[in-house]
Amino acid sequence: MDPCFHIQPVNMAGVGFRRWAQALSKGKGSGISALLSGSRAASSASKDSLPGPYPKTPEERAAAAKKYNMRVEDYEPHPDNGEGYGDYPKLPDRSQHERDPWYQWDHPDLRRNWGEPIHWHFDMYIRNRVDTSPSPVSWSTMCKQLFGFIGFMLFMFYVGEKCPSYQPVAPKQYPFNNLYLERGGDPEKEPEDVKNYEI
Amino acid sequence: MLNKAIEMNTLTSPLHLTSCMILVFFILSYPILTSLSPKPLKTDWAISHVKKAVKLAFFTSLLPLFLFLNQGTETIMTDWKWMGTDTFNLCISLKFDFFSTIFTPIALFVTWSILEFASWYMHTDPNMNRFFKYLLIFLIAMIILVTANNMFQLFIGWEGVGIMSFLLIGWWYGRTDANTAALQAVLYNRVGDIGLIFTMAWFATNLNSWDLQQVFTASKDMDLTFPLLGLIIAATGKSAQFGLHPWLPSAMEGPTPVSALLHSSTMVVAGIFLLVRMSPLLENNPTALTTCLCLGALTTLFTATCALTQNDIKKIVAFSTSSQLGLMMVTIGLNQPQLAFLHICTHAFFKAMLFLCSGSIIHSLNDEQDIRKMGGMNHLVPFTSSCLTLGSLALTGTPFLAGFFSKDAIIEALNTSYLNAWALVLTLLATSFTAVYSLRIVFFVSMGNPRFTPLSPINENNPTVINPIKRLAWGSIIAGLLITSNVLPMKTPVMSMPPLLKLAALTVTLLGVLTAIELASLTNKQFKTTPNLTAHHFSNMLGFFPAIIHRLTPKLNLVLGQTIAAQTVDQTWLEKTGPKAIVSLNEPLIKTTNNIQQGMIKTYLSLFFFTLAMALLLLLT
Repeated sequence: MDPCFHIQPVNMAGVGFRRWAQALSKGKGSGISALLSGSRAASSASKDSLPGPYPKTPEERAAAAKKYNMRVEDYEPHPDNGEGYGDYPKLPDRSQHERDPWYQWDHPDLRRNWGEPIHWHFDMYIRNRVDTSPSPVSWSTMCKQLFGFIGFMLFMFYVGEKCPSYQPVAPKQYPFNNLYLERGGDPEKEPEDVKNYEI
Repeated sequence: MLNKAIEMNTLTSPLHLTSCMILVFFILSYPILTSLSPKPLKTDWAISHVKKAVKLAFFTSLLPLFLFLNQGTETIMTDWKWMGTDTFNLCISLKFDFFSTIFTPIALFVTWSILEFASWYMHTDPNMNRFFKYLLIFLIAMIILVTANNMFQLFIGWEGVGIMSFLLIGWWYGRTDANTAALQAVLYNRVGDIGLIFTMAWFATNLNSWDLQQVFTASKDMDLTFPLLGLIIAATGKSAQFGLHPWLPSAMEGPTPVSALLHSSTMVVAGIFLLVRMSPLLENNPTALTTCLCLGALTTLFTATCALTQNDIKKIVAFSTSSQLGLMMVTIGLNQPQLAFLHICTHAFFKAMLFLCSGSIIHSLNDEQDIRKMGGMNHLVPFTSSCLTLGSLALTGTPFLAGFFSKDAIIEALNTSYLNAWALVLTLLATSFTAVYSLRIVFFVSMGNPRFTPLSPINENNPTVINPIKRLAWGSIIAGLLITSNVLPMKTPVMSMPPLLKLAALTVTLLGVLTAIELASLTNKQFKTTPNLTAHHFSNMLGFFPAIIHRLTPKLNLVLGQTIAAQTVDQTWLEKTGPKAIVSLNEPLIKTTNNIQQGMIKTYLSLFFFTLAMALLLLLT
């Protein structure tokens, strides 16, 4: 229960000062050392709960798993290859879309409970961004079909540019004196000269 | 006496036109400005102020329309200079020409009907006043866009409609899917804005102006491929052409009045309208025209294919909108901007009506949007389902309804032009698909037996629902005829063509309808034990486009950004070029030098003295 609970508007600076004074009297150490140690009431993560170096021994692993609120069996740190992950857990790359929409989460829009370990790429896996839900069709099939479709369309547009569609503007012209022989003309007789024009 | 009256009329009609259009702006801004006061708004402010303002603005805008139709009055009004140098000025400049004078009354008419409908649809919403305010701000931004005479003002309208779209799609902001959809709309529009801003920059640097008149005259002999491609990218973003299209079906997360106003009649046509405005520049650039043609053809077929297997009634209508936008893009690619504009106008009526009918049916079935759970609405909401059928018929281009005048003219122009054959094939195919999915809606919604629970609040007795749909139904019937009868075509249409070409649109539509009826009759038969779902998956998952692009691109960008920021920068500066680099660069040198120096002092000293002795000996002898 907040000891500073008032109904009328509160001077927040006064509230803050009271809290600081109370923390100073009750906190670790006395006076100045409490001020300097940073152990104030309602302060943010202490140094113990921040990520640390890569855990090498089983005890360090257990301590790290406890720190991240995970079971020791589930805890798996990122590989120690100089990328600077430290002992931060490597959680499965599943987005929040895949979590049960009907369960009563603590944070319903994030589909996350309080104290759950946060994925390294959590801000990418929220429901407004990348979705890793399984699709009815495999990724490779999807890619092949989409890019195949686009490629096919581009190719056909190229073909369509080469062979356009248009309305004829003149009667069709044939060579060899309007195909005199092919149309059953007399091979002995001399055909009349036909002049076809080029546009 | 009569001559003098006509002469006076001719002299003062530009003044009347300008005054009325400015009055329209003021009538629409009045509710917004009065809502800025600290006093809380009355509960019926939405109806008493906003709807009344839009209705009044519509009737006010009819006078400029009639002046234009009667006398061909067009005005450009340039007012207050905001800023500028000696040679480059930014002013408020309004262009009331053919396009804006005709579009404004249509937009206002459609908005009036939608606002009246929204007063019923959103009546349980505690923030209905805010909803109407957003719609009104959107409308003002749209009219700014349409009447803009310079690129800057157009850009103000462009961004305005984009922002209002974001706020309205995410109206139910507690729903994460609505937030995602609003974000998608903004991001895809932003990508399109890159094109528009590039074009504006090109105009500013090469033509020294953003005024349309100067742009048209100063660019007479220039190669305009780059700015035109920028404009096409802008239209791709705003009008949901292929590549930047997924935001439009996602935008159906917003309330139905929003879908009806923004994402069918007004906002999405802004991209096409931009290209129509810039058509004098497009005319002489075959590259840009071919791009428009091919992009539009691809869009119209792709989105029509996606519409075939959707089950959400709003999504089908959304894809239908996207397909018609593709058709408008095709028309621009054919160098027929006035036909594209005609299609914008007729499309507004029947598409808004389709959305309003969908909204009425959705609310009647207790917010059910899946067509598989509707049925038999023909008997239950006869007026609404009749108007749904009417809208679908107008959409498919049934002779002498509104859609026929624009769509048939487009298909005729397509058939008789010299163009890419594949674009022709795709557009005709999309026309038949239009008939298929329209019949699908009607079949699942109106026909058959009800597939929903009996206790649904089915009610179409409310005049606030019926009157808007009735007005838009009248529009869907006569708008095409009215516009084509009163407006001269800008380009000579091809009047003679073989009968097959003349009837092509009708033929493919009929083929589509027959195919759809055949497919519908298969719904209660089963020929194969397991169906072949490849094509169905492609269509239902929207060509896998969102599935791939929305997972791949953000992931790559975000992970790359994170890696660069958190690891690469530090690794570069500390390990590759900083302290550790000094170590790693010097180490080989040190090791080599170290290997050479073995520390054998006595040997070095004796060698040194030996060499010194040899040198002295040689020197002295």
